[in-house]
Amino acid sequence: MENQKAPMTVTVPFEFTGRAGEYFKIWIVNILLTFLTLGIYSAWAKVRTRRYFYGNTFLQDSSFEYLADPLKILKGRLIVFGFFVLYAIATTIAVAAGALFGLFFLLIFPWVFVRALAFNARNSSYRNIRFDFNASYGRAAGVFIGGGVLAALTLGLGYPYFVYLRSKFVVGKSGYGSTPFGFSARAANFYGVYLVAFVGIVLAIGLAWVLLAAGAVPEELMTGGWLAVILFYGSLGFLMVYLQTSITNLVWSNAHLGDHRLENTLRTTQMLWIHVSNTVAIVLSFGLLIPWATIRKVRYRLDNLKLLAAGELDDFIAGEQETVAAAGGEIADFFDFDLGI
Amino acid sequence: MIEIAASFYDGKTSRRQEVRISFHPSGLLRITGLESDLVHSLLEVRISPRIGNTPRSIYLPGDAKCETLDNDAIDAVLEFHGRSGWHRSLHKLESRLGWALAALVITVVGAWGLVQFGVPALAKQVAFALPESVDAALGQDGLKVLDRLVFSPSDLPEDVQGQFLTIFDGMTQELTDARDMRLEFRKSDLVGPNAFALPSGVIVVTDELVLLAEHEKELIAVLAHEIGHVMNRHTLRRLLQNSAAVLVIANITGDVTSLSALSAGMPTLLLETKYSRAFETEADEFAMEYMRAHDIPLEYFARILLRMEEATGHGSSTHNYLASHPATSDRVKMFKGHK
Repeated sequence: MENQKAPMTVTVPFEFTGRAGEYFKIWIVNILLTFLTLGIYSAWAKVRTRRYFYGNTFLQDSSFEYLADPLKILKGRLIVFGFFVLYAIATTIAVAAGALFGLFFLLIFPWVFVRALAFNARNSSYRNIRFDFNASYGRAAGVFIGGGVLAALTLGLGYPYFVYLRSKFVVGKSGYGSTPFGFSARAANFYGVYLVAFVGIVLAIGLAWVLLAAGAVPEELMTGGWLAVILFYGSLGFLMVYLQTSITNLVWSNAHLGDHRLENTLRTTQMLWIHVSNTVAIVLSFGLLIPWATIRKVRYRLDNLKLLAAGELDDFIAGEQETVAAAGGEIADFFDFDLGI
Repeated sequence: MIEIAASFYDGKTSRRQEVRISFHPSGLLRITGLESDLVHSLLEVRISPRIGNTPRSIYLPGDAKCETLDNDAIDAVLEFHGRSGWHRSLHKLESRLGWALAALVITVVGAWGLVQFGVPALAKQVAFALPESVDAALGQDGLKVLDRLVFSPSDLPEDVQGQFLTIFDGMTQELTDARDMRLEFRKSDLVGPNAFALPSGVIVVTDELVLLAEHEKELIAVLAHEIGHVMNRHTLRRLLQNSAAVLVIANITGDVTSLSALSAGMPTLLLETKYSRAFETEADEFAMEYMRAHDIPLEYFARILLRMEEATGHGSSTHNYLASHPATSDRVKMFKGHK
């Protein structure tokens, strides 16, 4: 049955125009000035880096823009640094203080998460319309503490459901202008991804066991040998990249904005190859190839992201927003949280 | 007059309109292509700084903005009106390879100098400014942990232990600024012949080392070396240095994402062992001074070092960048060379 009202869908690719050589120069100047100013410039460095990547990302000939104020970021960083110093002093004086701080960080985590996403979204714009993230701390606490407890109580069986809840929360509370994002994936999709991973582990262990039992592999080689270590970490790495890639694809491909949809088609083998070769290149070049590696990774990710546009992108309307302080985002940055987006 | 192509966004909807902007020498800019032309003074618009060749934003009064890829024209306009600002110099710095390479050299040399000389010197100042109770607090449970993991009680006869305890007390008492120090004996197959200085002032000598020594003076030399570690507050300094070095490195690579966490961790490991070698040399020098003052031939230290290396089989015999001690051959040379 054909739906006459369905608008024509056009596939619009994201284009990334960043170049490694150009970014290398921006990167090295950022590092130098950060170093010379004892870290103060890092706030400006962050904004310039973000602006470089956003500005080089085009969708239908319009680029994205990062609008954060470096001074705000600097303020956020100073607050976080102050907390860190307090933490370091407290734990030196009494070990129990470390546990208290740990509990404190656990409790403020939902707040940090919400503020980080809000700061980031509201400082990102496309066609002069800002993105948005609007969620109450209560909801965030429910997702993180409730979901986390659920996952722990069910010995991990509830973990995919937790990831589902978290993704739904992040996407569903985001918006572009006054238009909210929708999220159409179901919990079953997440269980599917983890099931494949689980079956993969079982098969791999079974195969190793059969090979050993059949004497196809000399035992000395497997027990305590390099081969065993490489195989173990190799498969662990593969597993992690598989999960990351599949979940990213699942989340992005199920995000929609009005009638427009996204489509993300990353592949595990490609991602693994990029991770491994990037790491090797960075180590061998003493870090000099970091800009090249970053550009390469971003390019691959954006090359595989498409917008399935239902008509023109002209009709989004700006929303009312209050400004957010940067501290939450800087805490997330400082502890290198993966926000999973 | 400079005229450029741009996209106009009113800030109320996501609609894009292609426009042309003409900049007049008077400082006025006219935007044409909309239903009615817009005229603004350059003074009431804000222009985003140039970063690479990313599009430039011209924020108009209100919420509207224009976006253009014609970076050079914008730069020319700003320069003409003397409004380039420091961002312009930043872009110049970022767009010339020569400058970038100079930045690279300055960063590497600066970081190297800081880590090589600045951090150790600073750590030394800070360590000696802190009360000795700090060292004691650091190593409170150190011996207990080691006892559980690697040591068992000493098998040495009481009189042998007593003999060295007397010697040790004599050594510490003559130090003018002596700290609370204690000598302990332990047996350990795992560790073999060795001696340790814990930050709390406890010095541990293994049975195996006592048995290995062929002369009392060899052990005195080793004790002097360990006292050197305690007196120079090496544990506290190592802790300070390592955390400072991590901060320096994090500061430099701070622009970098988690991808490089691995490669950022590596220099810290190398540094840790480099600093540790510097401390060994300092303790060696302390021992040397003590031995000279007491007319003990430096030979004795060289001899026991060589025997320790032979006994453990894996001493620091080669120049290994990852070694925590200087090469034994170098240390022996130092003690044999200064007779």
